[in-house]
Amino acid sequence: MTARAAAELEHLKKLMLKDAWPYWVGGILLGLLNIIIFIYMASPWGVTTTFVFWGAWIYELFGGHPETWSFFTMQAPMMQTLKGGLLNHGGSIINIGLIVGAFLATAAASQFKIKKIKSSRQLVAALVGGLMMGYGSRLAFGCNVGAYFSGVSSMSLHGWVFGIFIFIGAYLGSKLVVKYLM
Amino acid sequence: MAEFTIDALGEACPIPLLKAQKKCKEIQVGDVVIMNIDHSCALKNVPEWARKEGYNVEVEEVEEGVWDIYIEKTA
Repeated sequence: MTARAAAELEHLKKLMLKDAWPYWVGGILLGLLNIIIFIYMASPWGVTTTFVFWGAWIYELFGGHPETWSFFTMQAPMMQTLKGGLLNHGGSIINIGLIVGAFLATAAASQFKIKKIKSSRQLVAALVGGLMMGYGSRLAFGCNVGAYFSGVSSMSLHGWVFGIFIFIGAYLGSKLVVKYLM
Repeated sequence: MAEFTIDALGEACPIPLLKAQKKCKEIQVGDVVIMNIDHSCALKNVPEWARKEGYNVEVEEVEEGVWDIYIEKTA
């Protein structure tokens, strides 16, 4: 390999693996992948409904009986997924793939690092924020992926309504960040 | 030509950017801020903002997944 080719290869590697991809590349890829998910799953991409099942299965491990919840008794497909288990649930496979893929991308960029918790405030903010996001995404039947991204890309009005309220929520949230975490 | 260090290790976006903006407002022209980060999105938005302000920016990867961003305030 000539010196020039080696330098070009190094440049390409940095561009593909280390540097952040431009937003438009990410947008196009997300759009294409959502089409593939839609073909295989017969519904657009979603993330948080899966967490209902993960939570229910963990609860079962501790002897709980989520199969008595009206969420499952009143929705036959949900009950079927609950009984089917993790490996028969496409949404779970996608979410696991998401975590593994994110890990591989970070590892390929040599940027994997276990980050320390900065302060007790950060810990509280993360826990409270996570709880509110989880609770909210169930009330709204989806998160910024299932309700917003998939809503907008399937020309549904609810995605745009969700988008407007993301702006309001992010505006208020950023005020709280400046007030409590700076 | 004073030098200031901001330890933003473990801080998630947008906090590193907000801290950089706040610090750069306080310091004099010619002063340098060195920001220590380990959140890759700060690697994108902090230099992007600082360059837009016209400041001199340099980034150095000090270890895997940890960077120092040097920002020199210009007039």
